[in-house]
Amino acid sequence: MLRSSPLRCGTRALCRVPASSTPSHLSRDISRRASYSTSNGAEPKTQTWCRTCVGASVLLSGLALSIFLTRPSTSSHDKKSRSSSKYASPDEVKTAISALRSALKPDQVLTDPDVLLSYGSSDNTYHHSSPHAVVVLPRSTEDVIEVVNVARQYRVPIVPYSGATSLEGQFAGFKGESICIDMSGMDKILAIHKDDADLVCQAGARWEDINETLKDKGIPLFFPLDPGPGATIGGMVGTGCSGTNAVRYGTARGEWFLNLTVVLPNGKVIKTKRRACKSATGFDTTKLFIGAEGTLGIVTEATLRLAPVLPTRVALAQFPDAEKAVSAVQEILLSPYGSNMQCIEFLDENSMISFTSFETTYLTFYPSASCSLLNVSPDGYPLADPADALLQAAGHVGHDRLRGSAAGSVKTIAGAHSGSNFQFARTDEEAESLWEVRKYALVATLGWRQQGDRLWTTDVCVPVSKLPELVYETQKDMNEHGVTATIVGHVGDGNFHSFMLFHDDKELEKVSAAVHRLVHHAIDLDGTCTGEHGVGLGKKEYLVGELGEGTVELMRSIKQTIDPLNIMNPGKLYPDPSEVANKAVTRDKAV
Amino acid sequence: MSRASDDGKGPTAYGSPEDFKRAVQEMQATFPTEGVVSTHPDDLFAHGFSTNVYHEGIPHSVVVYPQSTEDVVKIVKIANNYRMPVVAYSGATSLEGHFIGTKGGGICVDMSGMDKILEIHESDSDLVCQPGVGWVEINHALKEQGIPLFFPIDPAPTATIGGMLSTGCSGSETINSMESFLLDTHHTPANAVRYGTAKGEWFLNATVVLPSGEVIKTRQRSRKSSAGFDVTKLFIGAEGTLGIVTEVTIRLAPVVPTTVATAQFPDVRSASEAVIEILNHGVGIQCVELCDAAFMEATNLHGPSGRKYAVTDHLFFKLQGPTQASLKETARIVQEVAKKHGGSSFKVAKNDEEAEDMWADRKNAHYSSLLWGGEGTKAWATDVCVPISKLPELVYETQKDIERSGIKGPIVGHAGDGNFHSLLLFKTDEELVKVRDLVHRMVERAIAREGTCMHGEHGVGIGKREFLYEELGEGTVKLMKKIKKTIDPLNLFNPGKLYPDAPKSKSSSGDGH
Ligand SMILES: Cc1cc2nc3c(=O)[nH]c(=O)nc-3n(C[C@H](O)[C@H](O)[C@H](O)COP(=O)(O)OP(=O)(O)OC[C@H]3O[C@@H](n4cnc5c(N)ncnc54)[C@H](O)[C@@H]3O)c2cc1C
Ligand SMILES: Cc1cc2nc3c(=O)[nH]c(=O)nc-3n(C[C@H](O)[C@H](O)[C@H](O)COP(=O)(O)OP(=O)(O)OC[C@H]3O[C@@H](n4cnc5c(N)ncnc54)[C@H](O)[C@@H]3O)c2cc1C
Repeated sequence: MLRSSPLRCGTRALCRVPASSTPSHLSRDISRRASYSTSNGAEPKTQTWCRTCVGASVLLSGLALSIFLTRPSTSSHDKKSRSSSKYASPDEVKTAISALRSALKPDQVLTDPDVLLSYGSSDNTYHHSSPHAVVVLPRSTEDVIEVVNVARQYRVPIVPYSGATSLEGQFAGFKGESICIDMSGMDKILAIHKDDADLVCQAGARWEDINETLKDKGIPLFFPLDPGPGATIGGMVGTGCSGTNAVRYGTARGEWFLNLTVVLPNGKVIKTKRRACKSATGFDTTKLFIGAEGTLGIVTEATLRLAPVLPTRVALAQFPDAEKAVSAVQEILLSPYGSNMQCIEFLDENSMISFTSFETTYLTFYPSASCSLLNVSPDGYPLADPADALLQAAGHVGHDRLRGSAAGSVKTIAGAHSGSNFQFARTDEEAESLWEVRKYALVATLGWRQQGDRLWTTDVCVPVSKLPELVYETQKDMNEHGVTATIVGHVGDGNFHSFMLFHDDKELEKVSAAVHRLVHHAIDLDGTCTGEHGVGLGKKEYLVGELGEGTVELMRSIKQTIDPLNIMNPGKLYPDPSEVANKAVTRDKAV
Repeated sequence: MSRASDDGKGPTAYGSPEDFKRAVQEMQATFPTEGVVSTHPDDLFAHGFSTNVYHEGIPHSVVVYPQSTEDVVKIVKIANNYRMPVVAYSGATSLEGHFIGTKGGGICVDMSGMDKILEIHESDSDLVCQPGVGWVEINHALKEQGIPLFFPIDPAPTATIGGMLSTGCSGSETINSMESFLLDTHHTPANAVRYGTAKGEWFLNATVVLPSGEVIKTRQRSRKSSAGFDVTKLFIGAEGTLGIVTEVTIRLAPVVPTTVATAQFPDVRSASEAVIEILNHGVGIQCVELCDAAFMEATNLHGPSGRKYAVTDHLFFKLQGPTQASLKETARIVQEVAKKHGGSSFKVAKNDEEAEDMWADRKNAHYSSLLWGGEGTKAWATDVCVPISKLPELVYETQKDIERSGIKGPIVGHAGDGNFHSLLLFKTDEELVKVRDLVHRMVERAIAREGTCMHGEHGVGIGKREFLYEELGEGTVKLMKKIKKTIDPLNLFNPGKLYPDAPKSKSSSGDGH
């Protein structure tokens, strides 16, 4: 899909080459990721350091052996660390690293400083970041168990890492003393059960690769969760992601993950469920790991439910303002054709303007219109002739009578809400290119104003009916405070993102304040501080406001139960970093 | 984690009979209004037994009828003070002994009085209600008010939102699943069954009174949130063992035109094979139900519509589409595929009334079958689920096994989910033995095919506890127990349900499998 895109640009987000120093499977990785990149000028850097890392790791593998020889006996160490401070001291971390080297192959353990730094930070976020002490590249569930056991034994924090596309600092290092476990090398598809519409894969498999593989094999099924390009199954479980397809297919929190193989902090492996689709076997522990951001266990394998591929079409309508656009969407979703909508995306005026800097081959944008709306529809009902209508559908022949009815209906609804400049992608290529415009909204924004701009992306979700108000208020707020930003959204779900641009610290301050106002506003409207990007470091502070102290406390006690030593991705997700110490206090207050 | 609390029993942990007496008195003092606290033997008995299940009942010590979240908090606080078990009770339709009393006594909290719909947000497609309201009432209220939305989860007609959330119920069994597929589908699509979000995203949030007496609201009302793992999901399927739900926001689905069709098949195997192919067509199937010959015989005698069907294996389809023309087209495609698999006598309902009649016949399976068994018949309803490709073989073998045993056991199933039920009828103890063996073999066959041996949908209760280890593996069960222990350290909430005792022999399924 990406290959045919007329848009070739990327932030480092899209072309990061984090796992660069590993062997074989990752060289493919590198070229693949690099292919996301081109214009914007940000990437050369990436490619350079990737070369550096390769050199470095060769060197290091030589060192591994000698360190191994000095490894202390483990049992005595265990006792010692229990009595001392909570996490391993720098020396102990060193010992842990040599333990890792002996447990794994030399080329699976990386300590080049550049690598450690790059694995610990993300250009997508402006949250506090820190390098890791070591990066490990497991190849099997057994490898992961080894790593977890070492981490537990020496009390070294362990941070799962995979596609590295998460946006809230989820995989940042822990004070330079963490083990980063890069799962992206475990990317095999293990079994495809076509008749059962499910697929078993390792956690590092990318959703795009999975879909491409299915396509290559001629299997008319796909996995509909579609977060950032490059995201992997493990990370998608980790953040509980969604994507544009959520209108029709829901999110990671639904039933798309049929079961997970998870290595728990105690080194035990569980499989959360059997493969059968329905099960009423008590509460579903699979769900504990969805959105846990690697704080409860490391996913090594997953069974995914697949959906049948249905032909889709893309259309665009423009509206004078967000309110009109949203009300049109609501009416479309509630109409009998509502279920035919796969995605409905909203782009505000600024977004449309930002796209004018892009070459698009097929469609014309009218950047002066206030709001636009894209949507795609698949479905069991062939409804429209692609040449003259809005919606298209899965082709059974002989559906002539139906042609045009959905299209007509949707067009009429849009019209009734002042929609205009109706455009319909006439061919698959047109549709694809139009859709990619939405996928690259972030990139377009980044390149919009001036060289060297950076952006803060944020993500809130409110009940759909509250969306116009929130968009309106946000636009107003940003105008008043002189923040340049675009707003795009999965409008069918009440979810939107704002990409706020900044150039220097002063602007960053403004942006940061705007983000805070936005999040609080969303929570006031019965919404959430994070529709899909998760909590990580970035949204921790809002969690209590949104969920209430009681719920957060419940999450903490579950964390404490499963990971009593707090070695799994500490500092993320759960608010109050010194939670353990303060626990008694908060409890008292809550009761 | 200590062994003793592992099996959730620790007899010494609970209050003495004296303590319980004082707890009841305190409850009476707290809720002086007539009828809120009941110790009438009939009441205690009625709440501790179920005619739907073969499990032995146990009466409760007291039944309380709270009216608000605050009432529930007060009850839970008293339970804490006197270390008295608490069992939530609502529609009382669960089938695995979920709400029977606790040995030694306990409080039954009857939530059925908290049955108000609090808010309907038509433009957000959601609804806020108390847990005692039934899904039927909700759908009725929506229809009355002319709101073209409905709640698609449809277990027993008198089941309530609180009970449905707590059993993680998914659709329907005897009552059938039409909309269970819908539910599976996140907004109704063509290939409904394949889109499944069964325990998916229908419960947006819940207000829960925890065993500590603390009240939490799991989430806000927005449709999506990725604020950490979703603790709402902890309570779905927890069977009242982790908290008492006092308010729920549910998501609604748009009403779409539907019709009903039936087709006859030479055997259950070819019928199930047809299902698989039809689903792959991506046409507008809302649900497809397998009904075997035995069930058709029962229906001919006792079905609510009085219609007569050929006594042979059938598929019942609920078709859906935006227009009448699209419904017709779907019917045509379904008929074609059915024919290919030996299907015949394809019938589409002529009008809505006929469609309703036909569907009612399917929905009434539980009761028609019971009547078919004659006076004094009891039924063991059981339910397995396998990956759909394994279904044809499994149903076929099960049906043959039932026939061989001489037991009457109609089979109906949500074929599209790989899920089917058999209602094994018995009167005598000898028959019960045969039934038990049949169930056992059925479960084994399902497990051997990567299925779930428990109910695909009826939950665990006490009936299925013993299978949990086999089904989920020791590691996962341990994890569940750990969580139970964290949230309910005194094991006050619905003790003895859901979590199995540690397996006798250590040898069985390890952590990993
Ligand atoms: C351009 C762009 C667009 C995006 N659009 C969307 C969108 O539409 N919707 C959306 O939801 N998100 C979106 N995202 C965010 C991101 O793609 C998602 O959060 C995605 O789920 C992250 O997957 P990943 O493989 O990159 O995970 P990572 O970033 O590597 O990790 C994410 C989290 O999961 C944990 N983790 C990783 N692997 C495992 C494992 N095996 N076991 C346990 N924990 C693990 C990590 O510790 C971390 O906490 C977008 C990002 C970008 C850059
Ligand atoms: C004829 C018939 C057909 C059925 N068909 C189906 C079917 O198709 N699919 C299916 O999944 N099930 C089916 N069932 C089973 C049953 O309807 C479901 O399990 C239903 O979800 C139970 O709801 P209830 O309100 O009756 O709950 P109850 O039976 O009252 O309680 C069920 C459990 O939930 C707990 N509970 C109740 N209320 C609360 C609360 N407020 N907070 C916390 N815990 C609570 C109870 O302690 C108990 O453990 C059927 C049953 C019958 C009799």
